[in-house]
Amino acid sequence: MKIMPTREGGLRINAEEAGDWRLLQGIPTDALSWDEKLARRLGKLITDEATAADWKDYVIPDLEAGFSAEVGHVTSAITAARFEAGGGPGALQIAREDGFQWYSTLNQARLALEERFHFGTHDTIDPASLQPVPRAAFLRSHLYCAIQGMLLEHVL
Amino acid sequence: MADSDTLTTTREAAALDVPWNVLVHDDPVNLMGYVTWVLMKIFGYEDKRAAVLMLQVHQLGRSVVWTGQREKAEFYVQQLQAHQLQTSLERAS
Repeated sequence: MKIMPTREGGLRINAEEAGDWRLLQGIPTDALSWDEKLARRLGKLITDEATAADWKDYVIPDLEAGFSAEVGHVTSAITAARFEAGGGPGALQIAREDGFQWYSTLNQARLALEERFHFGTHDTIDPASLQPVPRAAFLRSHLYCAIQGMLLEHVL
Repeated sequence: MADSDTLTTTREAAALDVPWNVLVHDDPVNLMGYVTWVLMKIFGYEDKRAAVLMLQVHQLGRSVVWTGQREKAEFYVQQLQAHQLQTSLERAS
């Protein structure tokens, strides 16, 4: 897989083999992998009684809808690009105007992986010391973080 | 009855006058550059100010990124949470 900025202010991800598409499809899968939705986890930070009630009724559903729409957008983009490539080598374009939706979905994926595996900051982990499932999750999180870095630098 | 009404009104007015802090908390996922970008985007802070606040979050575990009227504070917390930052609000002391 190769990731590069485009002249139009977006990113282009070149999938070189079927495994790259599986990795990319892991982004929305990971984003949706934690049972307690992100908006509810964030809502727990609102401890003032009066505000918490409003948050539960109005804000959390709004946030959930927004997060869900972002994941849906990225899912559709990956599915369409993979279909066009026939599951083999091909390109996925992230337009500048879609940059935040991608960043957000990658963030949701990393936040969900953090909830499951508690990696902490990347630089304190030796992946070789992890069991296969958390190691694979760690490496995916690392890849997502690298794409986020490129989005921050070139797109947002 | 009239006395009670007056007392209630006064208390509500006083409560509304209390400023509220918007806090951002540190977490191991959100990138430092992203936190800075979000603070610039939502509050219109210059990059230097946003970077200082981001470093407070990173080094001290939390930072008061805005203080003011409660309704506006709630709006900002919602905006920050929509950007997936760990955010809360509290009465300013």
